[in-house]
Amino acid sequence: MDNQNKSKSKLPYIIIGAVLLLVLAGVVIGTGVLGFGAGWLSAQKPTPTPIRVYKSTDMQNTTAPANLPPGANPPNQSGSPTASVTLEEFADFQCPQCAAKHPVINEVKSLYGSRIHFIFRDFPLDIPAHDKAYDAAVAAEAAGMQGKFWEMHNLLFTNQSAWTADPNYRQIWGGYAQKIGLDVAKFQTDMAGIATKSRVDADKQRGKVLGVNSTPSLYINGVSIAFEQMTFDGLKQLIDAELQKTAPQAPPANTANTNK
Amino acid sequence: MSDQDGSDQSSGAIAKLPLAAAFVSLAGLADAVYLTVHHYNAEPVPCGAAFDCEMVLTSPYATVGGIPLAAFGAAAYFIAFAFALLAAFGNRRTWSLFGIQTTLMAVFSGWLIYVQVALIGAFCQFCLISAATSVLLFILFLASVVFNRRTA
Repeated sequence: MDNQNKSKSKLPYIIIGAVLLLVLAGVVIGTGVLGFGAGWLSAQKPTPTPIRVYKSTDMQNTTAPANLPPGANPPNQSGSPTASVTLEEFADFQCPQCAAKHPVINEVKSLYGSRIHFIFRDFPLDIPAHDKAYDAAVAAEAAGMQGKFWEMHNLLFTNQSAWTADPNYRQIWGGYAQKIGLDVAKFQTDMAGIATKSRVDADKQRGKVLGVNSTPSLYINGVSIAFEQMTFDGLKQLIDAELQKTAPQAPPANTANTNK
Repeated sequence: MSDQDGSDQSSGAIAKLPLAAAFVSLAGLADAVYLTVHHYNAEPVPCGAAFDCEMVLTSPYATVGGIPLAAFGAAAYFIAFAFALLAAFGNRRTWSLFGIQTTLMAVFSGWLIYVQVALIGAFCQFCLISAATSVLLFILFLASVVFNRRTA
């Protein structure tokens, strides 16, 4: 009888230990920590399917909104405007996932160069947690007024955690402006002006009509890309496929020469 | 029979409310572990059309000192599970500890709902499931208190 009671009193501890082991195993396998499990997890993931939204070269078959606004004109762009593949990114400078994807996008841009047309669209989210996002977009546009949009854009993303946590963030941006060689007085004036805000609003309006509701949102030739596919390899695969469609003779990019 | 560590195993019967609480805690634990794993994998969670999980889960309120709140939630649910299971096997002291813990968890869940409504302006269904689980645990504890008073 005593033995029966003893074994019964141990039972909850055995169950608790088993649950703890299960949880730890779940975390190890799920995160791939200790080098175990990540491959298994990724193998289980279904391949994300891009959602067709619109295609600028095939407008008669498009599902694009009829009144799709053009966004800021000229857009913040790099690469070649005549390239057959266009990447259009809608991002928020205060969004951590956008900052996380920033190096990936840069890597893709440097890999393809003028073989793609990259357009960055401001899409500051209207939420209290992103209280500096609109101003940050305006700051980038103000730098753009002096031809330094990309420099400011890079600084805002790479130092995101520093300025988002600082109540004197505008001073920090003033420091960035100085660092990239802007006329700081003009930068401050442009930040307060209507022209920069109009550009941000125009980009945002385009995103809203397109149905952008989270950032980063990325379109390749008008096709919305799933977040899971916004990796270097995922984007490369999609861009190569688009390049082959439009110019079958063009060889796919060689990553070996460009990986940093 | 000895009553070391506050056990009351005279009846030997598994208490129903603590056992139910143990199962509910397991559900909360699974939800929190799922969110923790997604956080460390930097992957978005599947989100319903009425929700914006990424907005909530990547907000500054989603982490404390770089550690996701979901990880703290997982630890809390595991402890709640342990307390509830031990209580189900007759340990009254752990049921009291469970009561204190679930009260704090329910209050904290209320604050997190406020954050989603008023500060972020978006919802995440996994966060709402966790809040519902916390409140349910608290209700189970309250029910046991009421039941004990009526039968006393």
